[in-house]
Amino acid sequence: MMRRKLKVAVFKFASCSGCQLQILNMEDELLTLTDAVEFTYFLEASRATAPGPYDVAFIEGSISTPEQEELVRRVREESRILVAMGACATAGGIQALRNWLRLDDVKRAVYPNPEWVKALEHSKPVAEVVKVDYELRGCPVSKERLLSFIKQVLVGRKPYLRREALCMDCRRKGNVCVMVAKGIPCLGPVVQEGCGAICPTFGRGCYGCFGPSIDARPEALASRLREVGMKDRDVARLFKGFTGWSEKFRKVINELEGGAR
Amino acid sequence: MVSGGIYSGKFGELRKLFNALRLRGYRVIAPKLEDGVIRLKEVTSFDEVPYGWEDIQAPGKYSVREGGKHFRHGPDAPKRILYPPRLELFRLRPDWSVEYPKERFPPTALFAIKPCDLASISVMDRVQGGIGDPYYLALRKKLIIIVENCVEPGATCFCSTMGTGPEARDGFDIAYTRLDDNLVVFRPGSDLGVELLSELNIEPATDEVLRKYYDALKNASLKAKAPFELERLPDELELGLNSPVFKEVAERCFGCAGCNMVCPTCFCFDVIDEPELDGGAVRVRVWDGCFSYTYAEVAGGNFRKDLWARYRHWVLHKFAYWVRQFGVFGCVGCGRCITWCPAGIDLRETIKSVVEWVRSRGGG
Repeated sequence: MMRRKLKVAVFKFASCSGCQLQILNMEDELLTLTDAVEFTYFLEASRATAPGPYDVAFIEGSISTPEQEELVRRVREESRILVAMGACATAGGIQALRNWLRLDDVKRAVYPNPEWVKALEHSKPVAEVVKVDYELRGCPVSKERLLSFIKQVLVGRKPYLRREALCMDCRRKGNVCVMVAKGIPCLGPVVQEGCGAICPTFGRGCYGCFGPSIDARPEALASRLREVGMKDRDVARLFKGFTGWSEKFRKVINELEGGAR
Repeated sequence: MVSGGIYSGKFGELRKLFNALRLRGYRVIAPKLEDGVIRLKEVTSFDEVPYGWEDIQAPGKYSVREGGKHFRHGPDAPKRILYPPRLELFRLRPDWSVEYPKERFPPTALFAIKPCDLASISVMDRVQGGIGDPYYLALRKKLIIIVENCVEPGATCFCSTMGTGPEARDGFDIAYTRLDDNLVVFRPGSDLGVELLSELNIEPATDEVLRKYYDALKNASLKAKAPFELERLPDELELGLNSPVFKEVAERCFGCAGCNMVCPTCFCFDVIDEPELDGGAVRVRVWDGCFSYTYAEVAGGNFRKDLWARYRHWVLHKFAYWVRQFGVFGCVGCGRCITWCPAGIDLRETIKSVVEWVRSRGGG
């Protein structure tokens, strides 16, 4: 099939690079994929880069510094479709835990010369700075979803990815509910599907790395967890882990922690 | 010679029956204990069926213990087998020709399923069967059903109210009842059932056995009751459309659709086209549910944007609209939506409260 290759860029912001690695992890599909896709900017894979504009830009990482704010705005201008990829880009990531603390205290605890570090007050999801067209969630992002997204863009349709609660996918898969059968706290009922229910498959509760599902009611889950005996602090910590700074989880956390921020 | 009627035999005859199914080439799907939960899975040995175990069920809680006399059911309903959670419907090749999956359903025996689950199959026969879903019908026509009547219903069971148990009435090949450790009552429900029972060492039940049998089932039926009656329920629930109960209960609901997934009759699905890199595509059908936000979402809006409206719709569909659509209730009283609700919401209480609200206002 002769068609113009899709120009794809991958940009890293405040992140661990795990999401970009998921692209390189598509070992079985990568060769076929590169027949249809040209990675014009993807430093994790190649130092050769080409200028924009890009058909699709994947943004990994949260926006944590003034420079990053500037850069992501430029990427936005150069990109037809901008995709926030992973928990950092979509919800601020684990590093957003600092958003509940004073920035100066955090800087001092980490760096010998904190005055050299220019950081934003908050570690922010990309959508707080520029318009995001699609979100691919997870820590790391799911390889299958990423590939499905690219395939759908390639055929020229509006990408469709289910955004319902993980419970649906978990139960479709045939997992037994860990909350009901084992009394393990699980964020699955309020977290977006897409990971294939990895943690519950191995008998663990969902840690919430995909962030809130489309119509999530974390406040109802929080009251149930308290009702069955969890302490407010522990419930807050559960929600805080990966995507605590997402609007919906943040609200619940703040209520549990007594209105801080 | 076995014909219609009621027979009794020793526990060992059940093993013989199980083995006879395997010898005839059936894939046998039966209750099986796995990681502390009774699943519905393929079993190759009679010893895998968890006789001697019992499950303990309550709203939002499930556990098992050894030493119990009777197991009920776990999270898996026959729906999982007959109407798989994810089913490839067809493949589109790069040249746009269509390839349908090859014959993929082996003849299957459901062994030791419960009367409520048997009833769910008859509901599916009206719904999926009624519209002629070829994937369902392909599996269904190769199905043989051995049902175990419930002598000890669980705490979330209400088959007695729904009229689906604890004794299976029809639609099975063989129904059996374990009256005690070594006394099993058998009833054939089809020609194939008669044929299979003819191979067993059983005899027509004596009056004493019959008395024991009827007592046990009567006793069980007293236990599996919900705090409402079916008579006039569809009308009463529709009068309760504006009851505040739905909103109150939905406050506790996560909207996770777990109930849709474990419900043996919930049939909602999503169809997804997955393009391939070679230019082809796969069309799959996956379970969806009316609790999910996107289910009633259309271009420009959502028919049931609020969770309470989705909750209300589910309850009313099961207990009112379904009756008008398909001539039966959409609920078989298995109680899975109660046990497997991570929020511990009890459907029976919702219905009871709505009916009370309607009556308090002079309706119904």
